[in-house]
Amino acid sequence: MFVESRQNWRICLLLAMVCFSSYRVAGQTPYKGVTNLDGHAVDPFQRAAGKIVVLIFVRTDCPISNRYSPRIQEMSAQFSKSAEFFLVYPVRTESSEQIRKHMKEYGYRLQALRDPEGRLVHAAAVKVTPESAVFSATGQLLYHGRIDDWYAEFGRARPAPTTHELSSAIEAATAGKPVPILNVPAVGCFLPDTP
Amino acid sequence: MNAGRFSWYLVGIVALGLAFGSIARVETSPPKGAKTESARQVTFNRDIAPIVFKYCSPCHRAGEAGPFPLLNYEDTAKFARQIAYITERRIMPPWLPAPGEFHFQGEMRLSEEQIALFQRWAEQGAPRGVAADLPLPPKFITGWQLGKPDLILHANVPYTLSAGGSDNYWNFIFPTQLSVPHWIKSIEIRPGEKRVVHHANIYLDRLHSSRAQEKSPGAGFPGMELRIESESFDPDSHLFFWKPGSVPHEEPPGMALRLDPGDDLVLNTHLQPSGKSELIEPSIGLYFTDQPATKFPILVELQNDAALDIPPGVADFQVNDTFTLPADVDLLAIYPHAHYLGKVLRATARVPGSAARDLIFIPRWNLNWQSVFYYAEPVFLPKGTVVSMQYVYDNSEGNPANPFRPPQRVLGGNRTTDEMAHLWMQVLPRGTPAEQEDARRLIQEALSRHDIDRSPANFEAQYNLAAMLQARGEVAEALEHYRAAVRLRPDDAIANNALGGALLAAGDPAGAVTALKTAIAAKPDYFPAHYNLGNALATIGRFPEALEEFRTAVRLNPKDSMAHTNLGAALAETGDLSGAKEHLEEALKLEPQNALAQENLAEVNKQLASKEK
Repeated sequence: MFVESRQNWRICLLLAMVCFSSYRVAGQTPYKGVTNLDGHAVDPFQRAAGKIVVLIFVRTDCPISNRYSPRIQEMSAQFSKSAEFFLVYPVRTESSEQIRKHMKEYGYRLQALRDPEGRLVHAAAVKVTPESAVFSATGQLLYHGRIDDWYAEFGRARPAPTTHELSSAIEAATAGKPVPILNVPAVGCFLPDTP
Repeated sequence: MNAGRFSWYLVGIVALGLAFGSIARVETSPPKGAKTESARQVTFNRDIAPIVFKYCSPCHRAGEAGPFPLLNYEDTAKFARQIAYITERRIMPPWLPAPGEFHFQGEMRLSEEQIALFQRWAEQGAPRGVAADLPLPPKFITGWQLGKPDLILHANVPYTLSAGGSDNYWNFIFPTQLSVPHWIKSIEIRPGEKRVVHHANIYLDRLHSSRAQEKSPGAGFPGMELRIESESFDPDSHLFFWKPGSVPHEEPPGMALRLDPGDDLVLNTHLQPSGKSELIEPSIGLYFTDQPATKFPILVELQNDAALDIPPGVADFQVNDTFTLPADVDLLAIYPHAHYLGKVLRATARVPGSAARDLIFIPRWNLNWQSVFYYAEPVFLPKGTVVSMQYVYDNSEGNPANPFRPPQRVLGGNRTTDEMAHLWMQVLPRGTPAEQEDARRLIQEALSRHDIDRSPANFEAQYNLAAMLQARGEVAEALEHYRAAVRLRPDDAIANNALGGALLAAGDPAGAVTALKTAIAAKPDYFPAHYNLGNALATIGRFPEALEEFRTAVRLNPKDSMAHTNLGAALAETGDLSGAKEHLEEALKLEPQNALAQENLAEVNKQLASKEK
């Protein structure tokens, strides 16, 4: 685990762009194009007001992220005191109306953001849905990747997850401890090739 | 035996190695002459659309199991990289069997060339191509795939699948309520919300044995595996199965399934929560034919659940079973079945004088995509062919589907956390109708003996073998197996009744009385036991007692001509001639050809006439 974490770190150093984007400081220019479902620009870090920020990337047509919806909702309630959860819909073609319908169907009561230009996708370095990202209150990316190990690969889910990377990251961040690992790749639906 | 097992295992590994090798070759070192080929642009319209329309669109469209549509360029280009990824790993389209000597109907296996096209298309940025190349989009039948069914049955009570959690199994009972027998040639299963139903199976339940499992009538009941009881050898030998994308199977002419008035159909569904609560409301459509069955397939079931005792952590636990076919048959379909620890499933046939051949080989089992596989052409298996199943189970942590973490000892059984090692083969005996019937008997008997060899405590096998032996007059051996069945289930009414009947036939009426009284104690309203007990008591001259049993039999089944006949005889023996006359006349009203009733009535009338004089 530790070795893997260091490898990721090294990749981060090499890819300066990704690295810098994860060190964005709150209060700078808000992420371009990121809006709530009413079309108003939203900066999740301002909204979080000093709490940890958790972004969960989903799409309306992904069966894997949909299966996660009860779990995502539960976690947001569990960590509501320490973390501000946002549901991020990065697929440009998914309208606010579709997203509202989707949230109602799957019982989501989270704040939803649209990210049609992929700025949050980029900042969180996520590749699939569902994928999570944990930021410190100052906007530092502490963890990105799978929520847990429920899915071993497409079509092969465990009866229940056995590791809980997102919870561990939030708990560590809340306690002011180092997050055990920066990234564990997620299994899920690829973000569109043409965002 | 050992050598056979070893070589088979090696073949499995080699086959996997080859598959990976060939994928790698596509990526790294294209074969000779492929340079220009790979440089050529792959377009949706020319290269990709024909594959997508055939293999993806049937499920990836509205109302079907696929989570998003794949019907045109826009749908597909959006997922180009993902499609390249999952086709390369053969996750989609879902198809478990490795290519082999025998082909199956509806094969959903992409060729290496097709997989390579998806890779190149994604790498090239998913170009559309020229309009003239685009084939016509696929046309799909909406609604019932085989036209309007002759009878549509709806689930009594829908099942509410919860939003979260793991796999779920629910059974729906469909009473058929027909007044005359019908012949079913096909059943179309509409399982409800297809995105959450992974597969569904239909079972014929002539005895309503599943109803006892419902908390209230029509409510349905949970359970992964069904145990349907049957009193006769009427073979439940038709496999009606649904999985995403499957087309309803139509039985060939002459192979319809008899549906009697009152029969139940039971739908067993495997459901996977979607993230939102779903209402599952299945319906089934029955298609009838006027042509009664003239060909009767039979299910040859290999199984070795008794050998399933898988220690935790073991990744290669092998379970085998073999059976020698006692008659010539055509193999029509095959249905391999294991639960979540299944890893490699293989079935072979060794025709006398030749090497074993794969009937099916599933190198990477996935319960989610289990299926009944129909052969494209029947596979002839002559008498003496040894059919064999060779299954490997993975009870290690490396198996993500393992229901236990940490792994635990797993035994054979019906629950989802138990394991199973079953292989059903639908076979059709060859020859004239009489030869086919003989072959069916031979196979049934051989299967029962096989099951008993494997597990002498198999009650059903002991009972079935006894009944078959009795039917062909082998009373002494039949008695042996009935006794074994009764030892296994001392209070079973059906087994004790059969034992009583056999003892009576073997000339031991006193022994019969004991067994039949046990049957009645277990099931006081069991007509055959009262009827047989009446006969046993009458045989040893205990007429007043016999009379009571026949009275009960007539009360339980007033339409049975023989019960009235014997009640009449017992009444006559105890001096009630007018009572005897009444029941003998009733017997003849029910069955005018009843010779015994005719004879007894003539005698009673004669005695009554002589009394009047």
